[in-house]
Amino acid sequence: MSAEALRTALFWLFAALSLALAWSVVGNRRLLRAAAALMGVLGCSAGFYALLGFGFLAGVQVLVYVGGIVVLLVFLVMLTRTQALLEDEPTPWRHNVGVVAALAFFATNLWALAGLPDAPVVGPALGGDTRAIGRALLDVGATGYVLPFELVSVLLLAALVGGIAVARKVDPASQSAEADHG
Amino acid sequence: MTCDHSAIVQHAWVIPALPLLSFALVGLVLRPLNARLAGAVAAAAVALSAALGWWLAFDYLQFAPPAEPLPTLIPWQVEWLRFQDGLRIDAGTLLDPASVLLVVVVTTVSALVHVYSLAYMKGEPGYGRYFAVLNLFTFSMLGLVLAPNLVQMFVCWELVGASSFFLIGFWYDRPAAVAASKKAFVVTRFADLGLLLAILLLGQAAFDVRTQLGASAGDSQALDFAFLGRADVLAALAHQAPVLGGMTALTLGCLLLFVGGAGKSAMFPLHIWLPDAMEGPTPVSALIHAATMVVAGVYLVARAFPLLAAADGVLTVVLAVGTFTALFAAAIGCTQDDLKRVLAFSTLSQLGYMMLALGTCGGGDPAGRSAALFHLFTHAFFKALLFLGAGAVLHAAHTGDVWHLGGLRRKMPLTHALFLLATLAIAGIWPLSGFFSKDEVLAAALHGGHPLVFAVGLGVAGLTAFYMARVYLLVFWGEPRREASAHVHEAPLTMVLPMGALAVLAAVAGFVPVSRWVALPGTAEHAGIDWLVAGPATAAALAGFGAAGWLYGGDLGRSDAAVARLGRLYGALRHKFWIDELYLWVARKVMFRLVAAPIAWFDRMVVDGTMHGVGLLTRLCGAGVQAAQTGQAQAYAAWALAGGLAVVGLLWAAGRAG
Amino acid sequence: MAENLASGATGLHAWLLVTSALFSVGVYGLLTRRNAVGILLSLELCLNAAAVQFVVFNAVRAPARVDGAVMALFVVAVAAAEVVVAMAIFVLLYSRRRTVDVTDLTGDGPGHAGGAP
Repeated sequence: MSAEALRTALFWLFAALSLALAWSVVGNRRLLRAAAALMGVLGCSAGFYALLGFGFLAGVQVLVYVGGIVVLLVFLVMLTRTQALLEDEPTPWRHNVGVVAALAFFATNLWALAGLPDAPVVGPALGGDTRAIGRALLDVGATGYVLPFELVSVLLLAALVGGIAVARKVDPASQSAEADHG
Repeated sequence: MTCDHSAIVQHAWVIPALPLLSFALVGLVLRPLNARLAGAVAAAAVALSAALGWWLAFDYLQFAPPAEPLPTLIPWQVEWLRFQDGLRIDAGTLLDPASVLLVVVVTTVSALVHVYSLAYMKGEPGYGRYFAVLNLFTFSMLGLVLAPNLVQMFVCWELVGASSFFLIGFWYDRPAAVAASKKAFVVTRFADLGLLLAILLLGQAAFDVRTQLGASAGDSQALDFAFLGRADVLAALAHQAPVLGGMTALTLGCLLLFVGGAGKSAMFPLHIWLPDAMEGPTPVSALIHAATMVVAGVYLVARAFPLLAAADGVLTVVLAVGTFTALFAAAIGCTQDDLKRVLAFSTLSQLGYMMLALGTCGGGDPAGRSAALFHLFTHAFFKALLFLGAGAVLHAAHTGDVWHLGGLRRKMPLTHALFLLATLAIAGIWPLSGFFSKDEVLAAALHGGHPLVFAVGLGVAGLTAFYMARVYLLVFWGEPRREASAHVHEAPLTMVLPMGALAVLAAVAGFVPVSRWVALPGTAEHAGIDWLVAGPATAAALAGFGAAGWLYGGDLGRSDAAVARLGRLYGALRHKFWIDELYLWVARKVMFRLVAAPIAWFDRMVVDGTMHGVGLLTRLCGAGVQAAQTGQAQAYAAWALAGGLAVVGLLWAAGRAG
Repeated sequence: MAENLASGATGLHAWLLVTSALFSVGVYGLLTRRNAVGILLSLELCLNAAAVQFVVFNAVRAPARVDGAVMALFVVAVAAAEVVVAMAIFVLLYSRRRTVDVTDLTGDGPGHAGGAP
């Protein structure tokens, strides 16, 4: 089996797997399972990245996304004590709206795709070069990303502070006063 | 005509600017901070203005040797509104003998009234507001007087009307004051409509003339007094085709102009607001409703005099209205009980005198115009003095009803002396100022070929002496008739001093050769005192004094008997011929019911109904949209997605179409 | 597209088809999930699909550059920030109202006036 054939096979494997898991993410009535399925989808995406030759991205995907963010989501499921609950099925109306919206979106994408010439997706390019990503992130030139990069750090800081401010324990006295005025 | 003027002539605009600045400062900054300071600043600003006014007058009189007519100058003007070439409105200062005279009168009386008010209004809650509006009034009046065109005059005209409204309604917690201010506002607005129409009509006609004149029109603008006074323009205006009912635009415009002037100067039948305006503070009555604002109508007619003289028959209307008002108001003045109301009717009567004088010029000799301005000048001083004296009485006794007063001469000797002087001045006793100006008015009537008017003028002179002596005797002689008038005290010095200054002016103003200064070219010279006129006039005044002395000087029973004898006539006079009632009846029964009510119905049903319909439609749309505002983030996400897809769809459609 | 798919080769169309499908599934979840955490999971699905698409375009259109990869990194960072804030909000919400079902959240709710027990 040639390398190209292996890549094709892996692609279709990941594609099938991620679609199936994605279905579970949106459809599973048990949230914890949905979160686990999301973990799988993200893992498949890491596989995609690797297939495209972006090894560093694949690593980040696994370490940060799967290992960090989704674990946070799992915590969230547990903190809100919904892990044992069976979520209600969506009402038919909701279900229909969701289906129509998703299909409309997909159809639009297909239409856009039809206007796009197909092109072979070649193997590893410069994307595998972690140094290139680092340089691009800190490049102050016209094609660099230093400003968004810094903005993202501010965003993360703001999210951190905001998260603490929102979830901080409020002492009962001021909370009751707040309730009186609210 | 711009270069070699002295500083004050060049910068005469400072005179109105000072009160305006002070108005802004006092009204916006000082009023809430410190009322005393506000009053002091306001008075100081106007006093400075008055000093500059006198300086201006002295410098202006240096211009020409007395033989020559004094020049008409516009030393300063800026473009204000430009409609098109030839119809540009400037703001500026027009200096001619009449406007300089009025500047002196307005600033002087205003400054004295400001000083007087410092004491008179002490302790009033609206102290700062009072002075701010008084400043605004002074500015507006000066702007009116100095206006080089009809539009600036109209704007200032409305501003003095507004100031008058604010000041009549100064005590806005008194229903009578509120009603009086509304009445003054509505009646003068009604007349101002005439002035506005006159401006539009004359502006259009004069603009046509200006277009015909072509190059010879020069830089003059259609609504400038300088342009409207030119002989060729007047001739062209007089020969225009009639516009309405056989009248040319000139005649119709001048009639409407006079309607405006008659409203402000409270000529019959628009006089009804002035007696009620006495609800305002007395110094306001002295300044606005006696000395300055109410003469604006006279000034307007004098200013636009060449136009009126060129228009057919308008001066006859002025003469008739003036003469009737003089007699009518003097007769009513004899029967009123309130001191200030008597003075108000006296003002009406004297304004009628001035209008009468203007109206006598139909024969071509503009001597009456000089007489009117001269009488305006002297009247401002003695009438302001009378009002300030009445204010001192009111201040001390807290009532203006002459039947409650009495015997005040012992308690208020200074006020008594000053009031007496003013009474003699208004009655026209030599050598006080009223004698000279009244003499000129009557002489103008006699020599202008109006013997009947002359006779009426004599009668009015007698009535004037009678009603003034009546209130003077009732207030200052006899014994106190009520408790209030028994415990009065002399007015404070801040009030007596301005009165003293006015008394000096009222005494000597007659010797100022005003009528020679303001004379238009072509006025017949007449030297000295015409005893053919002055003799009968003085006799009439003395007769009036005698009658009043006999009726009111001793036994008041004689006056009661006389009232009983007059019967119905007395009742009619006392009720001012029921003119207020007539107007109310017309307003309520005719205008409200036949005009206002259908309009109100239309407004409520059709105009409001349309608006309500639109509102209802909007609310229904809102209710429809409200259904989408569920507060459900997912619904919003769905809408956002739909919107995004719609944009893509539009792009697609546009791509196909393009 | 057809010939590439038929031959099993993984051209651009195949990649985009997969990411679009992933995103559409995310949209469906976004609109139908009742649990707030479930909505968040669906949202992550969408974000991830978009990130992959960025990287695909990077590989196809500009192999010499790394812009798409940088975007993917940003997406990860934004997702992290989002989860942090969402976590704070949902925990607070749960402590006040004992539920994170978004269909039960309209109005003042029972938990609002009484506060957390």
